[in-house]
This record gives sequence, structure tokens and C-alpha cells, in this order.
Amino acid sequence: MTPHDAGFLLLAVIAAFFANEIWRALGVVLSARLDEDGALFAWVRMVATALVAGLVAKLVLSPSGGFALAPLWLRLGSAGVGIAAYTLGRRSLALGVAAAEVALVLGVVALGA
Amino acid sequence: MDATPSHEAPAPAGASRPFWRGARAALSTPGLVLFGSFTGFGAMTHDFGWPIWIAALSTVLIWAAPAQLVLAGALASGAGIAAASLAVTISAVRLLPMVVSILPVLRSDRTSLGARLLAAHYVAVTAWFEGLRRTPALDRESRMPFFLGLANGLVVGSTIATVAGHAAAGLLPAALSIGLLGLTPIYFLLSLERGASGLGERLAIGFGLVLAPLIATVSPRFDLLWTGIIGGTIAFAIDRAARRRRSAA
Repeated sequence: MTPHDAGFLLLAVIAAFFANEIWRALGVVLSARLDEDGALFAWVRMVATALVAGLVAKLVLSPSGGFALAPLWLRLGSAGVGIAAYTLGRRSLALGVAAAEVALVLGVVALGA
Repeated sequence: MDATPSHEAPAPAGASRPFWRGARAALSTPGLVLFGSFTGFGAMTHDFGWPIWIAALSTVLIWAAPAQLVLAGALASGAGIAAASLAVTISAVRLLPMVVSILPVLRSDRTSLGARLLAAHYVAVTAWFEGLRRTPALDRESRMPFFLGLANGLVVGSTIATVAGHAAAGLLPAALSIGLLGLTPIYFLLSLERGASGLGERLAIGFGLVLAPLIATVSPRFDLLWTGIIGGTIAFAIDRAARRRRSAA
């Protein structure tokens, strides 16, 4: 991993701003005309959902940086604890995230990192 | 209750009251979870060697945690600006249906194009979810200022959280900074599930999780793109088939 210089990162952030914002602007233009219950939107939403879920899998399975210091079983196990707490706690985001965090931090402490 | 001290300016009857009510609503549970997640993002950018102001700028300007994460991840794995922007734009497609679904709720007859573009800029998972949940109970004139207050509250809190996470990453004990880095994936996963409507989107989550590691071994550069298109399309096909069966029955 090579650290980038600030000018490169600034350009990258500005480019990403436009790459991101264009869909918001298109949404404004199309909101008057397109049917949000239509098949095309349903498909777009599912593609985007699968993409972000894929990102989550990558972040957990092959993280770059400090998260990789936690072993794979602990990363998966703490996510499992979070999902279980979320499900049992009537789909409470806060509960799920908090449970996963406690499991992860305690696990790292127990391993003596 | 409403006894305004006489030395204060009288509360303007227009937009400022719902704006501040919205800003206060940013301090709700979803807002706090979001701030936690941006603390994690800040810590991650520290890990990637970003200067603290770049991290803060990315939150203020891009204002979409998945896009920021995709950007940071792509750059860290050696992608150039063009490839990173392509990955960002793919992750941002989902903003379009979100904008389309919230604007009819927020706008009134007098809402200008500029105001609609401004509102759209603030659309991201948490602002969208909370905006859709809270504004329909308000009268139409108050909805837009309430949403802008809510969204600005979320942006300010998230920017502070990004900076705090970046600063803390080098100082915290290892267990806590690993904990910060682990916040983002679980928050994303659970908020995807929370926001999913219907069978197709739940299937898309499952396919995304399973396909990404497989596709990464075949096409490491465009793995997220292919994961989205293949996983989303299979989920869509199953969802449509299930619908047809239900309507035929």
C-alpha cells in the first residue's frame, strides 16, 4: 500500500464527488417522470444492494489495514453476534451494531493484541 | 411553553423552526449509529494514510459512506482516479431511486429546481430513511426545512465523527481502534437489511455477500461492479418470478 500525496487525494475526492452526485441530480430530473414502483427501479435498487453487500463481504473477509489484525474467525464471529442481536432485538440497528462491537473488542482483548 | 423572552427576535413564522427541529432529530439513534460509523471511516482513512482534512472533506462533499469507503478501498488497492471514480459511481446508482422516492414527499408546489437539487444532495441512507419516516407527519410547508435541518445535523455530526476517528486511530489502544474499523461493515450490513423492501432486495444482500469473494478471485479490479450486476439481476429475476406466481395463484 503506497501512501498517496494530498494533491492526488484531493483530486480523487473531487472526482468521486461528481461521480456520486450525478445520480442525485439525475434523480431530480427523472423524479417527475419515472415510476418508482416500476421494474427498472426495482432492478437498479437490487444491483446497488448487491454491490454494497459485496463491499461488506470484502471488508470482512479481506480487509486492508488495521482490521486485518483481528483474525478471520473473530471478524466473522463478531458480525454473527451482531446479526443475532439485531434479529432477536426486533431489527434494532443500534443493538446489532453495539453487540458486534462488544464481541469484536472483547475478542481482541482476549487474544492479547 | 412558548413564552419567548421579549429581548429575543420573534420566531420567524417561516422555515427556521422546522429546520431546527430537524437538526435536533439528527441526534436520534440512527444518527448516533451513523456518527459511530463515520468514526470508523475516519479511523480507516488514518490507516490508509489520508491527511485528516481530506477525510473530513470527503464526508462534507461526497456525503455517502458507501461511496467514500469504495473510494478509499479502491485507492488503497492501487486503483487510479478514473477506476476509483467508476467504482464510486456504481455504488452511487442506488441514490437515484432514493431521490426519486423522497422528493415527492418533501416538495410542495412552490419548491424550485435549486431547492430540489439541494435536497437531493443530502440524500444518503440515514437521511433518506429518517426523512421518509418523519416528514410525512408534518404539514407540507415544513417538510423541506425539517429535512434540510435533519440532513445538515447529520453532516455536521458525521464530519466531527470523521475527524475524531482519524485523530483517535493513532492514539487508542489496539483493541479499540480495531473495534472502530469493524464498525463500518456491520453497520452497512444491518442498515441494508433494515432498508430492504421485499424479497428481491433481501436476496440481493445474500447474493452480494456470497458472490463478492468468488468474483474477486476472477476479476479483482471490477469485482464490485460484477457482484452488483450479477447478484442484483439474479435477485431481480427470482423476485419477478415469485411475483408472477403469486399473481397467477
